[in-house]
Amino acid sequence: MPAMSLAGAMRPADPPGADSQVNRDLLRVMEGISPGYLLLLAATVLSVVAAGGVWIWQVYLGLGVGGYAHPIFWGVYIVTFVFWVGIAHAGTLISAILYLFRAKWRNAINRSAEAMTVFAVLTAAQFLGIHVGRIWKSYFILPYPNQRGLWVNFRSPLEWDTFAISTYATISIVFFFIGLLPDIAIARDRARGLRKLLYTALALGWQGTARQWKSHSRAVLHLSGLATPLVLSVHSVVSWDFAMSIVPGWHATIFAPYFVAGAIFSGFAMVLTVMIPVRRIYGLEAYITDYHFENMTRFLLLTSWIVGYAYGFEYFVAWYSGVEAEQTAFWLRAFGPYWFSTWTMVFCNVIAPQLFWFKRLRTHVPTIFVVSTLINIGMWFERYVIIITSLGREYDPAVWGIYTPTWAELTIFAGSFGFFAMLFLLFMKLFPVIAISEVKELVIHERAHSGEAH
Amino acid sequence: MPELHRRNFLKLAGASAGATAAAGCSDHVEKLIPYVVQPEEITPGNPVIYASTCTECSVGCGLHVKTREGRPIKLEGNPQHPINAGRLCARAQASIERSFSPDRFHGPMQRDPASGALRPIGWDEALSQVAEALGRNPARAHLLGGDPGDSASRLLDRFAEATGLGGRTIYQPFSSEVLLAASERVFGVRSEPLFNIEAADLVLDFGAEMLDTGPSPVEHQRQWAAARDIAAKPGGGARLVYAGARLSLTASSSDEWLPIRPGSEGMLALALARVAIESGAGGALGLGLLNGPLAAAGVPAAAKSCGIPAADITRLGRALAQAGAAVALPPGAAVTSRRAIDANAAVLLLNQVIGAIGTRVQIPVPERSARSRASFQSLLELVQSMQEGRVDLLLVHDSNPAYSLPKALGFESALSRVGMLVCFASAANETTALADLVLPTPAPLEAWGDVRPRPGLRGLVQPTLRPLHNTRHLGDALLGIGRALGEQAQAQLPGGDFLAWLKQQWSGADWRAALQRGGIYESPRPAALRFDGSNIAAIEPDLTGSGNLTLLAFPHSLLGDGSGAALPLLQEIPDPITAVAWESWAEISLSTAERLGVELGDVLRVTTSAGSVELAAFPRGGIRDDVIAIPTGQGHSQGHFASKAGQGLAGTPRGVNVVDLLPPLVDHGSGGFAWLIENAEVARTGRHRRLPLAQWSDNKRGRQLGEAVTLGALAAGAKADGADGHGDHGAKANGHGGHGDGHGAVHEIREPYNPADDAADAQYRDTFHERGEAVAKESPYRWGMTVDLDRCTGCSACIAACYVENNIPRVGEDESRLVRQMAWLRIDRWVGEGEATLETGRVHPARSRERLGQVDIRNSPMMCQQCGAAPCEPVCPVIATYHNEEGLNAMVYNRCIGTRYCANNCPYKVRRFNYFDHQLTKWPEPMELALNPDVTVRGQGVMEKCTFCVQRIQSARQNAAARGENIADGEVQTACQQTCPANAIHFGNLRDENSEVSQQADSPRGYHALHVLNTRPAVTYLAKVRRGEVKS
Repeated sequence: MPAMSLAGAMRPADPPGADSQVNRDLLRVMEGISPGYLLLLAATVLSVVAAGGVWIWQVYLGLGVGGYAHPIFWGVYIVTFVFWVGIAHAGTLISAILYLFRAKWRNAINRSAEAMTVFAVLTAAQFLGIHVGRIWKSYFILPYPNQRGLWVNFRSPLEWDTFAISTYATISIVFFFIGLLPDIAIARDRARGLRKLLYTALALGWQGTARQWKSHSRAVLHLSGLATPLVLSVHSVVSWDFAMSIVPGWHATIFAPYFVAGAIFSGFAMVLTVMIPVRRIYGLEAYITDYHFENMTRFLLLTSWIVGYAYGFEYFVAWYSGVEAEQTAFWLRAFGPYWFSTWTMVFCNVIAPQLFWFKRLRTHVPTIFVVSTLINIGMWFERYVIIITSLGREYDPAVWGIYTPTWAELTIFAGSFGFFAMLFLLFMKLFPVIAISEVKELVIHERAHSGEAH
Repeated sequence: MPELHRRNFLKLAGASAGATAAAGCSDHVEKLIPYVVQPEEITPGNPVIYASTCTECSVGCGLHVKTREGRPIKLEGNPQHPINAGRLCARAQASIERSFSPDRFHGPMQRDPASGALRPIGWDEALSQVAEALGRNPARAHLLGGDPGDSASRLLDRFAEATGLGGRTIYQPFSSEVLLAASERVFGVRSEPLFNIEAADLVLDFGAEMLDTGPSPVEHQRQWAAARDIAAKPGGGARLVYAGARLSLTASSSDEWLPIRPGSEGMLALALARVAIESGAGGALGLGLLNGPLAAAGVPAAAKSCGIPAADITRLGRALAQAGAAVALPPGAAVTSRRAIDANAAVLLLNQVIGAIGTRVQIPVPERSARSRASFQSLLELVQSMQEGRVDLLLVHDSNPAYSLPKALGFESALSRVGMLVCFASAANETTALADLVLPTPAPLEAWGDVRPRPGLRGLVQPTLRPLHNTRHLGDALLGIGRALGEQAQAQLPGGDFLAWLKQQWSGADWRAALQRGGIYESPRPAALRFDGSNIAAIEPDLTGSGNLTLLAFPHSLLGDGSGAALPLLQEIPDPITAVAWESWAEISLSTAERLGVELGDVLRVTTSAGSVELAAFPRGGIRDDVIAIPTGQGHSQGHFASKAGQGLAGTPRGVNVVDLLPPLVDHGSGGFAWLIENAEVARTGRHRRLPLAQWSDNKRGRQLGEAVTLGALAAGAKADGADGHGDHGAKANGHGGHGDGHGAVHEIREPYNPADDAADAQYRDTFHERGEAVAKESPYRWGMTVDLDRCTGCSACIAACYVENNIPRVGEDESRLVRQMAWLRIDRWVGEGEATLETGRVHPARSRERLGQVDIRNSPMMCQQCGAAPCEPVCPVIATYHNEEGLNAMVYNRCIGTRYCANNCPYKVRRFNYFDHQLTKWPEPMELALNPDVTVRGQGVMEKCTFCVQRIQSARQNAAARGENIADGEVQTACQQTCPANAIHFGNLRDENSEVSQQADSPRGYHALHVLNTRPAVTYLAKVRRGEVKS
């Protein structure tokens, strides 16, 4: 009974062995606070404070502090919103879908991916508030019985968005927390003082009994089932923010799969960008191995081809439709004033990932880091291209326009990375970045199999 | 502590709630105070309308001032007035801002010798100071100013006489001196000719800019539109030919544009007269002229000097001879050269030859008016005597000489030798900045007055607003000075105040009736003319300066001579031709721009013998290669909006004053200021400036936006079934083939109003309706609009009216640079059909598609189309925009949370977003007093747009309900429709098939903008008719 031995292994006074080695390795990440860590944390907090200050200033003065120029009504905020929603995809995909497919290699990365999902959704959700003109009235978008006799418009994609994002956030947080439970219990058993109190509360009385494990794996299974359609639905709904409009360049049926693929693409890239330094700094090479990198980069290559296909297909449809406004919008996308964004997008998202055709590069960590960072940049630009260039070149050429973000928007944009990084840094010190229980399960599993083989 | 009882608790709770509420109140508590004694004519909530007269320019249009609770909120035209017939231009619409300008003086001001700043002073002290200075030596005192109005001007004369004043000089930047002198030379009568376009079938505009800044633009726009009414005149009606160096607003509305060299108007007129006589016009008189003044006027010479093909002159000359009713308008201010009198006389001669004098051109018996006495020559003499120290006291009224006179004249240095400068002015300007004493006058809406714009016509100006500040009418101030001078002067001055003097001037008329009608409107009596063609010869003007581009300083359509620059609305409305707002620009041709290596917005240095300025280049196709054109009106260093003071840059001029580039030279025959005088040297500075530009491209790429149809196609389509109705319009681009129903030329891009759509709309609407409640009853209305592009000149009066009516904020220069203007109504200006070019890499707006000598300009006013299937409605998550049962696409500002999705999804881009709290934070006091109380003031973060002046519909609904009827056709007029001088806009109920708008929408020229998107707009555009060039 592996569950029994695991439960035993989790007791503090356990004899030394493989399990406790895992414990020590993984929990070490949570211990001690280096000056480098503090510096990084301070930088992220500072950027969040700066962005918060700019945001208050923006609420006070008005959205005009941004670079919006008629007719471009959506800018960096929506671009960044879509970007973070995309990032939020990897976590659930890795945890839920790969769980259902029994892709064991996910175990090394699922915890951090789930955390990223939660943090990315929280970051993204803020941009909805930052973007709207009257944040103080934004609760109007929630359908609840009220004395004002107001109701919401269920036909609006923005209304769908509200539901999609809030549902996704709820499920992600629950999923994340349930997966974390056994590990919190391990941490609880080793912690002292305040931390002990915190973990005791959060562990919800986890003892690692067979009954608890049974319920836990049931819960994970069911939540995976529940979360799987969400992976597809959230970004589909976000894509409909665009696809349901009549804006040339937005109005396309391919948007839902295109956005989902893009989201998975960017989400995986972000997991790699974040985990490579963490692995290096905390010496987790034994847990995140070439095996993982190879699988992840293959996934990147696949999704890169999907988004590349979508880019090409958009142009094909524009040409094939015979609609002049559509053709003009796409021509200007590639060769107009925003050519830089478009070609950055193509280079980062379609050309750079082709390096992963080579097995050596699939496991060459510096290459993976560079390419995954490029993909993150490219995916931000993808949204920039879709949103800004399309809005700037609509049906009435008299009111075409040009948009340049202002420093206010860029500060808030930078603050979103600060916010995300800040949460991740805090997470690293509070919870195990790799799911201890699942790794152990794997270790035991492998040990058992190797025993059988000989 | 006593026990807390229920009652005590309630008291405490109540008190603390009250305290909290009180603490939450703002410091500034405004109270609604009911009238103690209700004025008889005022019913709170109902407007009271007073007849008055506009004093913005010399035309003198009749006004209806709409007031609410004692406050003017909107100016509309007086329908009874013979000049404007109920319509107004943009400048008149905006002039309401003058009363509420932050630049106004709150009381008399005196310059503090120590600090050099103005400080308040009492009226009595101020008047006695002037009287003292005047009394010392009246002969060394001088009056200088523009036209203060008829009776005021008479009082000024009386004052000058009574006090023994050294002299009075009348000066107007754009005066009619040259035309008056020409009229005297040709007809022996010094009288300003009146032109009637309505009766004409061929109109030649020699740079008069008759639809724009010409002699009577509102009147001429109306007449021009009526003369070309395609419904009444299937042949297309009158043709307009424009001769001038740039494709101006008038040229844009013409059928043929002769891009002649500036200054060659006289040669062209004489050559045309010659050809016309040779083709049979003019009779015996003409034959006499051929041997006389026209002997030297050859077509080849004229063609060479004008820079156009001789064949065009011959063709037009013949057409003039064949036309039944041709008329020619003399050159305007921009082309007033040192030989302007010859050009003006030549055009009058041409009118004589083609038989226009006495019919289309009336020369009335002149009346003595301030305008007719304006003289630049006498101003030169005044400055001369100032320089020589012969003027001790200068009294300046109704003008701004420190701004409007050329720097090279040295007015400012001459002022330093004048003992005391007294300014009668309502608001701060460049001259009051130099004044020793400022005696503030009331704004036009606060004062009594009258005008005599043309013989037979007298307009009354009556106050509609209690003076906001401690001001006195110019007349009252002068009478006060007279009283302070002592008994001798007082005896010669009229007793009482200015109003008494005014009534005395009107003693022959029924005062009450005149007050109600706005004045006395009689036809002018024609003068006895003695034609003398002997002294007419057109000579090419010689220009000074060494540059290779002729400097064309043309009057700005909106700012005029610069008096409009203080009004933020006129600054904010983009120039109708270039779409530039808040800035100066220099128009050069595309090839000149290429030669200089400049693009749109690159800063040029323009140098003449008189000075040098730096301003942004505006390369365009519609200007001659040898010309650089700069508009007047900008370059003020004073004023909240006129200068950059409102942007925190006090003293920094906004744009440049083109007058600074001109030497103070005059027309040789009349003494009028010569605007066309200099060749300019143009060089690039290497700097770039992003212009506040309201339009990106004039290439409509064949999309269904500003459609046009040729006369031939229109006639063919209307005649027979199955005729080829495709014409050369843009239907090809939308992929619709011919339907073969042959119902008119632009039929395939039109989807006529169909009552069945209303059912679909109702269903669509129901999905929005709160929790599925069905709409109770079907509405009898479906509001709709038509815009006739064949009538629209692009003058922008509708935009100004819309701003004032709907409390639309003015956003200022910096915001305009990001095209964040809030205009609910804009005018897209298209050049031809355009083509779907694939431009690359341009960050700047697209290159001008105008071509020299070609006119195919389509002005397309664009407002909310109130779509039946509106793309903006389904995307709003909070139902802040929805479809009402009358077909309006309504806005609920209070619901809007500012997601801006609606604006993204609007293909017409007519939605505007409040990026800032424009009205409350940016409007300096007391501008908010002009707000229309019927329209919500929108705050920061909400979307807004046109709703067909829904407040006017509501008001009409109440009136109709009181009668127990439905709203009658014509009972609701939108602000844009009401003011349109060309009557291009119609509004009404599409459900009523007899309504005017239904009839209009039924026109074979009707089309819906961007029809392919199936938005089912309530606005039907009527395609412009291309009449082609004039045939002989």
